[in-house]
Amino acid sequence: MAKFMDKKNLVLHGLAIKKHGTPAQVAALTDLDEAEVQALLKQASENGRAAESNGKYMLTPTAQMALKGEYSKVYGGLRADEKFTHAYESFERINLELKDLITRWQTLDVGGEQISNDHSNPEHDAKIIDALGELHERAEPILDALAAKLPRLSLYKAHLLAALEKAEDGDRQWVSDAKCASYHTVWFELHEDLLRITGQQRQE
Amino acid sequence: MQTDHKWTFLLEGASLPDQALIGGKAWSLARMRVLGLPVPPAFVITTRACLAYLQKQTLPDGLQAEIDAGIAWLEQQTGRRFGADASPLLLSVRSGAAISMPGMMDTVLNLGIDETTEKALARESGDAAFARDTHRRFYQLYSQIVLKATPPELSQDASPAQWRERVDAVAAQSMPTNIKEQLLAAICAVFDSWNTRRARRYRKHNHIADDLGTAVTIQAMVYGNMDARSGTGVLFSRNPLTGEPVAYGEYLPRAQGEDVVSGKRTPQPLAAMQTSEPEAHAQLLDTAALLERENGDVQDIEFTLQQGQLYLLQSRSAKRAPAAAVRIAVDMQQAGQLSEREALLRVTASQARSLLRPRLAAGAAEPAKQLARGQGACPGVASGVVVTDPDEAEQQAKNGQPVILARATTSPEDVHGMLAAAAVITEQGGTTSHAAVVSRALGRPCVVGCGADSVTRLAGQSVTVDGDSGAIYAGALKMVIPDEREEPRLQTLLDLAEKYSPLKVFRPDAAPQAEVLDMDKSRVRSTEQPENLATLLAGQTAAKGGAIASDEGVAAALDAGLSFIICEPVLPPQLAAIHAQDKSREH
Repeated sequence: MAKFMDKKNLVLHGLAIKKHGTPAQVAALTDLDEAEVQALLKQASENGRAAESNGKYMLTPTAQMALKGEYSKVYGGLRADEKFTHAYESFERINLELKDLITRWQTLDVGGEQISNDHSNPEHDAKIIDALGELHERAEPILDALAAKLPRLSLYKAHLLAALEKAEDGDRQWVSDAKCASYHTVWFELHEDLLRITGQQRQE
Repeated sequence: MQTDHKWTFLLEGASLPDQALIGGKAWSLARMRVLGLPVPPAFVITTRACLAYLQKQTLPDGLQAEIDAGIAWLEQQTGRRFGADASPLLLSVRSGAAISMPGMMDTVLNLGIDETTEKALARESGDAAFARDTHRRFYQLYSQIVLKATPPELSQDASPAQWRERVDAVAAQSMPTNIKEQLLAAICAVFDSWNTRRARRYRKHNHIADDLGTAVTIQAMVYGNMDARSGTGVLFSRNPLTGEPVAYGEYLPRAQGEDVVSGKRTPQPLAAMQTSEPEAHAQLLDTAALLERENGDVQDIEFTLQQGQLYLLQSRSAKRAPAAAVRIAVDMQQAGQLSEREALLRVTASQARSLLRPRLAAGAAEPAKQLARGQGACPGVASGVVVTDPDEAEQQAKNGQPVILARATTSPEDVHGMLAAAAVITEQGGTTSHAAVVSRALGRPCVVGCGADSVTRLAGQSVTVDGDSGAIYAGALKMVIPDEREEPRLQTLLDLAEKYSPLKVFRPDAAPQAEVLDMDKSRVRSTEQPENLATLLAGQTAAKGGAIASDEGVAAALDAGLSFIICEPVLPPQLAAIHAQDKSREH
């Protein structure tokens, strides 16, 4: 069984993914109690691991370095786990499809030319959202396989489903908006989390 | 045909049945048939059959016989035979409810292909690779759509037996070997998709009854690669890029739809088809005009020519560029094809905004020095000083300095910097990269993939980013902001919008005297949040600044009952108000 991060490091990890995060955001990402996150972040800023400005926290370079070491210590077992790495590879494959789908959401093919999707064609939008739901269903077993080895990852599945359902109900921003926990935002955070766990570099 | 059709309906073109019975997609096919247009022959298994199936989890009595009769009718119509070793009939199977909803089954294509019919198709088309690929794609699609299991890409070199083995392994069940059984399984899968989690949730949330059911359309496949007199193409009844009222499209002889989509072969302009297939070309143009008239909007028509015979696969409202949206709306209104109000509803606020966006002044780019070049990932132009750190970008932007964020690549850690930047430029990655996706979501001009060390080394320099062309120029180039009053078609829309907008919008120099809330001076943080907007505007008479001209701002202004707002340009918020009013009328 995989080892888990202690809460102190988990909060820093959550902050590494959010970068500029409020305690509430970090709590949502790590499934810890908000008050507890608040206290841990305060503690982290007192001993030089985080810096606060306007209620938002960010990691210090020292904490970034320390966290990298922590990853290989805590997740060394997962990195060697065949089922986990197999699920991770499946995620990378479906990630390519997701990126392609989000691009189709944001751009319209008009007579062979690509233009920004101004959401003037509801049929196109409905088709992409339906395809996103179909992709989500195919991603679910992969997310379950990842969470079977590291339970905290199951949070992402819940957040992804919540975003998908809001999009299905007509709230377009939940597909790829960068300012809310849209499907793409959560997916990308999950990807970032997995890259950190597995110690991989992002391939663009 | 006088056989009892209790569960099925043949699309013969004699009458137009109730959409609730055959679903939306089949209904539009049926309508084309009624208009006398050539669509590939099809029949529909009705929603009534679906409900009977769902009740007992088995096909209702008599449906099997009606499906057989339906196939026999398709065979008679096409002169081809299902499962035959010469001229085989292949089918598409698609779902179709009266109201479209997420979670319904996708279309299965090429059903009816097996080892016998593959050989027949290879002989007939003279293209064994095509027949093999059709066979392979059927396995891939059947696995994904009917069995809900995605096998890794099946290899073109493997045998059908090997494909089957892989599909069975991934699906943990065995795929039927017989094409008739495959057809029945696909039909049941459509019925079952009515009750997928997504479909059920959507119905519940949107108060759609659970006992409507979905129909199944079974249609003959047609092939554009049978011979020299076959091909496939797309036709727009007007130019979707400019709006010019001239048919626009492309044609690829001896090809299937996928060849056009995949971009493996370059299609010809439609004019080339006029030379090689004058009759079909003329028929196509007449059809486009007819469908545009009937549907009251520009049509995007997919068609296939099979051995000289024209078939329409689909016709729908065309997607269009912003300039085209404006021209089409104005032209069709002036020709009496649209009412004034309808014309306004054909142009969205964001289309108007994108036409009125700042752009490089004519001739400004030519003498400028190009510092780097990549792929334009989000259109628009912006100038600023290059910053490579997202925190610094945020800081400088707060101090009122426009900045351009330059990164090797971006990740979620950079989003706050992208939000603060006037434009984003990267060294690695293409149009699906994180930087591209997020910039488009934020509406920031963006150029990606400029090459290693190409943009981060520009730190501290003043540059201009052109998200359309992908160029990055030295210095702040001259820009112009288009004036909505100087373009005749926008002026026409302005006059109409003035008449129909439920919210008065004034330019700063024309605003009446009144107490006006200046949202730029508001102390409430993040005025874009809808709940903040509502609080802010409650009890006010008029407002300006902040997010007031955005779709959300206009909606909040309408809700708060403001007398007017002040901003420039005025057309986008007016259109937003007209669309918002239309939407609330719908509900």
